[in-house]
Amino acid sequence: MFEQLAELLTHLGEKRIAVVSLSGFEIRFDIMAIIMSWVVILLLVLLALVLRRGLRQPVEEKPTRTQAALDGLIGLLKSQLADNFASERLAIMMFPFVSTLFLYVLFSNWLGVVPYMMSPTQDINVTFSLALLVFFVSHVLAIRFNGPRRYLKGFVEPYAFMLPINLVGEIAKPLSHAFRLFGNILAGTILVTVVMVKFAPVVVPPVLQIFFGLFFGGIQAFVFAILAVAYINVAVEG
Amino acid sequence: MLQEAQSAVSGISGADIATAAKYVAAGLCMGIGAIGPAIGEGLAAAHALDGMARQPEMQGALLRTMVLGQAITETTGIYSLLIAIVLLFVI
Repeated sequence: MFEQLAELLTHLGEKRIAVVSLSGFEIRFDIMAIIMSWVVILLLVLLALVLRRGLRQPVEEKPTRTQAALDGLIGLLKSQLADNFASERLAIMMFPFVSTLFLYVLFSNWLGVVPYMMSPTQDINVTFSLALLVFFVSHVLAIRFNGPRRYLKGFVEPYAFMLPINLVGEIAKPLSHAFRLFGNILAGTILVTVVMVKFAPVVVPPVLQIFFGLFFGGIQAFVFAILAVAYINVAVEG
Repeated sequence: MLQEAQSAVSGISGADIATAAKYVAAGLCMGIGAIGPAIGEGLAAAHALDGMARQPEMQGALLRTMVLGQAITETTGIYSLLIAIVLLFVI
């Protein structure tokens, strides 16, 4: 039984670990996660380059089809993400970052649906680095907006003995942020793989892929982006 | 002494028992851990629906807040899932 499960795990995307020795330190890389991340990055860059051709400068009376579609996409992202920011200045500053995060996570989640590909977000290191990025961005912004003094004072509010609780709360944010995305994507992948290998190899997996890969992937990407907005808001407002 | 005699008869070793315990623990972990998030997400959806029925023009904001709240509620379920995965594949 356990051998079967271990065999199942190998279906979930083989782990190819590269070890680089750097003067006593061993640095380990998961090759598949890195390759898949680069696939997503190349996909996004290529899409941007290709779609840019359809744009007309200056904007005319009648936009092209791609222009209209991209306008719709940006309008949707603006209404869903940018309007949640605490201030207009913050929204202008952070909207590109958050929408890029959304697009990256969305394409990462959807990559798992393509045969022979795996979602980079089903690797804990990828989601954790994204969450740490949001963590550092929110704290740097908090220092920039409030000044170092008010920023440090935020940790001892409302009372000084609350400091450990505040610190744990700050550390828990990127942890839960990373685990949420990772857990959801990994659970979907495991479920689809178990059904595919054990029960029904033909008709059922695509349906499950649509539900877990596309639908949940989209929702989780949106949740990841909107939580980034919420964390930045909380950090800036104190 | 008694245990050794029993295991010699039945052919069940301590490793087998540990493996079985892992599966039982993972199943319990997921089953019990899913109760809380399920109730919480249901409550969030129910109240969001209440609000939408009362004020349909607020639908966009309510939907957004509902999804955000459900995602945060889900975190505990995800934690139990992680523990179940660790029990199954890592330990």
